[in-house]
Amino acid sequence: MSKPSHKPTPVKPTDLYNISRIVTDASDWKTALDQIVRQVRNILIYDNLAVYLALPEHEGLDVMYARAVGRGRSAEADSAWGEVLANRVSIEQRIILEEPPKDDSVSRLKRPYLLGIPLLNGGNYLGAIIFVRFGGPSFEVDQVALAEFIARQIALLIERQKLEKATIELEAKHKQIQLQEDFVSNISHELRSPLGFIKGYTTTLLRTDTTWDAETQREFLEIIDQETDALQELINNLLDSARLQSGQLQMKFQPIRLNNLLEDVIAHQKLHRPRQVINLQISQPLPVIQGDPLRLSQVFENLLSNAAKYAPHSEVLIKVEHDKKGIHILVKDFGPGMSKEYLPMMFTRFFRGPDQSTNSHGSGLGLFICKQIIEAHRGQITADSELGQGMVFHIFLPFDH
Amino acid sequence: MTLILVVDDEVLYQRLLRVNLEKGGYEVVTAENGEEAVEMVASRHPDLVILDVMMPKLDGISACERIRQFSNVPIIMLTARGEEQDRVRGLNVGADDYVVKPFSAPELMARVQAVLRRAQTADQTTTNRYFIHGNLKIDFARAEVWKDNKPVYLSATEYRLLIQFANHLGQVMTAEDLLAAIWGPQYKDDKEILWVSIARLRQKLEDNPHAPQHIVTRAGLGYLMPPVEKESVKGE
Repeated sequence: MSKPSHKPTPVKPTDLYNISRIVTDASDWKTALDQIVRQVRNILIYDNLAVYLALPEHEGLDVMYARAVGRGRSAEADSAWGEVLANRVSIEQRIILEEPPKDDSVSRLKRPYLLGIPLLNGGNYLGAIIFVRFGGPSFEVDQVALAEFIARQIALLIERQKLEKATIELEAKHKQIQLQEDFVSNISHELRSPLGFIKGYTTTLLRTDTTWDAETQREFLEIIDQETDALQELINNLLDSARLQSGQLQMKFQPIRLNNLLEDVIAHQKLHRPRQVINLQISQPLPVIQGDPLRLSQVFENLLSNAAKYAPHSEVLIKVEHDKKGIHILVKDFGPGMSKEYLPMMFTRFFRGPDQSTNSHGSGLGLFICKQIIEAHRGQITADSELGQGMVFHIFLPFDH
Repeated sequence: MTLILVVDDEVLYQRLLRVNLEKGGYEVVTAENGEEAVEMVASRHPDLVILDVMMPKLDGISACERIRQFSNVPIIMLTARGEEQDRVRGLNVGADDYVVKPFSAPELMARVQAVLRRAQTADQTTTNRYFIHGNLKIDFARAEVWKDNKPVYLSATEYRLLIQFANHLGQVMTAEDLLAAIWGPQYKDDKEILWVSIARLRQKLEDNPHAPQHIVTRAGLGYLMPPVEKESVKGE
């Protein structure tokens, strides 16, 4: 660093323009202050510089920035940093100059000339900025004015940074609330929708002013039956998801033959969705594993009902293989699939695919529950797909857990 | 036969409404979103519209607003949430009645009959899809504007301003009225934005923006769209 001459150069408009540019471009006030003081080093000479900020949580001031560039560097913590003056500035909220008695026998480091300026922004007091010069000379009027200009710029930046932080926090909170609201509105729609059909079709059958032929009656009753099932499934999912969330869902492990379990699930599925074609391929013999048969059935039922919902005209392939570590199960449909970007979100609670028509119902809970159940078996479930390429689920269940 | 347009995105609701209404002796056509609904009101001239609020591609409220720009066909809103806010919004944009889901079949039939009865005693249902003013043509159903049979692209604000003039043909409107109607009451003293918007509209619509034929200034009073001989064409 060049030896500072205490003969200051006058302030030029370009210096002020440069300061203003630094402030508008700044991402944080400390870097900006570093750049500003470098910019005006030949005009505003100092040895130490400190910024004290009033913190809302506690009384008094905290030092938030300190630089020693001149004679104070060797003295480190021993040199003057103007804490006492900072407190005075904060109480009186005005510019204060402090000069030591003239005594050349005392070391320059013991004779600091201090300039304290409050950091004010629109009448808000934020803290104080202190310039220290060891052994003088005094701060001149022009320099004080420049220092005050800098202080105001810094105050603006501090306030701007606070607002930016507050905005980010608010946006995060807002997002959270949005997700909850979406869930509430989605779930109330999902609950009301089957109820609406049950009510509507029942009262249609009950109309006293007209009659319906046997075929129509049967059609309406089937709709009512399906919608009752949908409602039942939704309520179960809601309860399961709440229990999983609070850790109340206990698995009842027992030895399972997975091929029997899958055959039962498929038989049950055939009853409900006679048109769904399920192709089961098992490489025998399949070792027995430990698992909760009810919960594992729930997983496969869920995947099959998803396939029926989102790939209604496609057959479903279930392929079961095993290695030394455990059993690998693949569940694949040949429907529209899903674009890759959404795959990571598929197992999160409340997530629903972006381009689902309103005729497909769902709570955004099914796959979340599947993942929880598989993980309770120390296994893994992953999804793979590309738009137009069908949906594949891979499940791994380990032998020992 | 009385024609009813049923607008719902859910197939099961379409079916439910259709069977009940057909048993009641009405003819039924269906649409599954707001855009289709507006088109079908313009093309089929139904005697009643049953319009679901929650729909993709133009929700029920916006569809109702669009229909009201060119037709006074009776509209019953189906509000899924049963929330007061939805009903109020529906009635505010010109719906005649609402039915809250879940509803019973007899309740729906009763509402339909009541609304149709009221509509019969009131004025005839009119549906003017197109508005023609000289070389200018507005298609309300599609929210499109044509000049000399060439499409004119207007901003949403410009379109609303033009509709305001078209719906008050021959009437002088003050700057305050226009500002309050298009931008909102808090803008009623912001005359400059109205001047800029009218200047832009004239640039797009007038043959000579300095001698306007469609949007005329009445110095010291306001603006109007002057009546012309063949001011509008009914229907399609």
